[in-house]
Amino acid sequence: MNASDNGTASMEGWDSPLIQARDLSRHFHSSQVEVVALDGVNFDLQHGAFSVLAGRSGSGKTTLLNILGTLDMPDAGALNISGRDVLKLSTAERADFRLMHMGFIFQAYNLIRVLSARENVAYVLQLRGVARDERLRIADTWLAEVGLEGLESRRPDQLSGGQQQRVAVARALASEPDIVLADEPTANLDSHTGEALMQLMRALNEKRGTTFLIASHDPVAMDAGKELLMMEDGRIVEQHRQ
Amino acid sequence: MKHVGIYLRLGLRNLWLHPARTGLTVLALAVGIAALTFLTAMNDGWMQNIRENFVLTEVGHLQIHARGFEQSHKIRDHIPDTRPLKSRLDSEPGILAWTERIRVSGLASAAGANAGVLVSGIDPLRERKVSRLADFISQGRWFGLDEAHATIIGDVLAERLEVGLGDKLVLMAAAPNGDIMSEVFRVRGVIHSGVMDIDNLLTLIPLASARKWLGMATAGNGGEYGGVTDIVIRADSFADVNPLKQSLSAAFAGQDLEVLRWMDIDPMAEQWSQFADAYTWIVLAVVILVVLAEVLNTMLMSMHDRIREFGLMGALGTGAMQLFAMLMWETVILVCIGGLLGFVMGGWASAYYGEYGLDLSRFATAFSFMYMSPIVHPQLTFDGCARILGAAIIGAMIAGLYPAWKAARLEPAVAMREI
Repeated sequence: MNASDNGTASMEGWDSPLIQARDLSRHFHSSQVEVVALDGVNFDLQHGAFSVLAGRSGSGKTTLLNILGTLDMPDAGALNISGRDVLKLSTAERADFRLMHMGFIFQAYNLIRVLSARENVAYVLQLRGVARDERLRIADTWLAEVGLEGLESRRPDQLSGGQQQRVAVARALASEPDIVLADEPTANLDSHTGEALMQLMRALNEKRGTTFLIASHDPVAMDAGKELLMMEDGRIVEQHRQ
Repeated sequence: MKHVGIYLRLGLRNLWLHPARTGLTVLALAVGIAALTFLTAMNDGWMQNIRENFVLTEVGHLQIHARGFEQSHKIRDHIPDTRPLKSRLDSEPGILAWTERIRVSGLASAAGANAGVLVSGIDPLRERKVSRLADFISQGRWFGLDEAHATIIGDVLAERLEVGLGDKLVLMAAAPNGDIMSEVFRVRGVIHSGVMDIDNLLTLIPLASARKWLGMATAGNGGEYGGVTDIVIRADSFADVNPLKQSLSAAFAGQDLEVLRWMDIDPMAEQWSQFADAYTWIVLAVVILVVLAEVLNTMLMSMHDRIREFGLMGALGTGAMQLFAMLMWETVILVCIGGLLGFVMGGWASAYYGEYGLDLSRFATAFSFMYMSPIVHPQLTFDGCARILGAAIIGAMIAGLYPAWKAARLEPAVAMREI
């Protein structure tokens, strides 16, 4: 545990965890019932990790991933990512933080449908202010890296599900984020395509050192992870390397 | 203006994603804007036509009266001698022509009937440069030289008095000193202007004859010099009216005169201007409503279609203001395409009918009462275009605000769960 008392841990190189989560809890209120989605989650994630957050449906994986991705806020707890206390950030600052530090791969609807594969990858770079020629060069490089050379001009509806997920991987990595958060990336893919996607992400993790945290209950994804975090009833009940 | 390129690209492509929906919206916008552009041009053309007809038929751009005449309309309130004013009127920039008149209410008697009339003593030569009265001759002719006892009357008045060309007419009116004077004239011409007051009441006689008849000639001449009730001025253009009023009022200050603009003379003219303004505001309100209804509907559908996409964009780091701007740009693109098309259609129709005229002769009687020509020439002015464009943009902005505001407020995690 490296969390500092004031929640503003400093970046001290690779010895400091990339993510430090302490007692994160999140409750959802519907009309008559209260659902405890997270119930005091504690864990650290190191730089360069390739971790899979596993658990049954409803165990809290997506809720935790949303909070780690600053897409949602916990009701209580502390969260430090890349040396920043992200829970103190405003909505606009969180959007900026995601832009500068995070990459995302979602289960579906990952791409902007009116943009080509190249433009989808370059979108985040454009928001970051990268010059046009440079961002297109980077996009093409990453599309080639994920095996989509020659498909750069295709729109999402002209790509298969696996190809769309590869574009999402390329986009997530093109901006060289501190961490890539993937929520059930293989859920809509057949087992062969899902396995290929996991192998691709793991290869990129090993080659580039990018940190991955993948929420999935797919055995293929769980097998591919270097580290497994098991969730049950809103808690991480087990964390081990494999 | 950062990221405008991506906003425009996304806006255009998203609109193109639903060609039928976008096409229908653009078409509706275009037809609406075209119709309103044409209506605005019609209004401007009408108003210009009414102003010109009103001014050039009889009234002139400006009139100079003895102070009090405009209220009393009594001949006793007249300008006794116009000679001291002439040099200034001849040299004043902005004056195209000017003339003098004596106006007095009276009674016309013919062999078979009597009628109340408005006698107008005019300078036959100068009058032709100021008004169109000579152009309205429908029978007979305009005044010739040395026709001291000739009169030209309105066609309706001629019917009422049962007189025709060559017939005698006895005119009676009060002189400035209150004496009732009468004189015999012979009908030389009949005019038809379409304007009720002119055709029903107007009786023109030569100014010199009027002066002598009513005792307003300066001593020792045959009526060439003397008193008048009106000095009527035709300006180079409507733009000269206000400067001329200021300049002449200053020049004739202390001479017990008042300088009146055409809209000061007839309250109805002022009401026409107010009506034109009201009409313009109504048109602008309709433009805003048309744009608002069309665009709001389309943009709300577009926003709901893409909630997940906005969630994704938000997750990737697109800020709320960027999402807001994105939707606003999409709205602007939609309105620009529809508006431009509408302007082209409305502009073409306005230009075509501006050139060849829109024939509304079947309403000629009603039109002439309003000093309107039955052939209407729409006039598309820069101001008219700017008003429509401004209203369309305001409508678009209002219509775009709500969907853009909703998109900007979306929580990425919630939006991405939307089905």
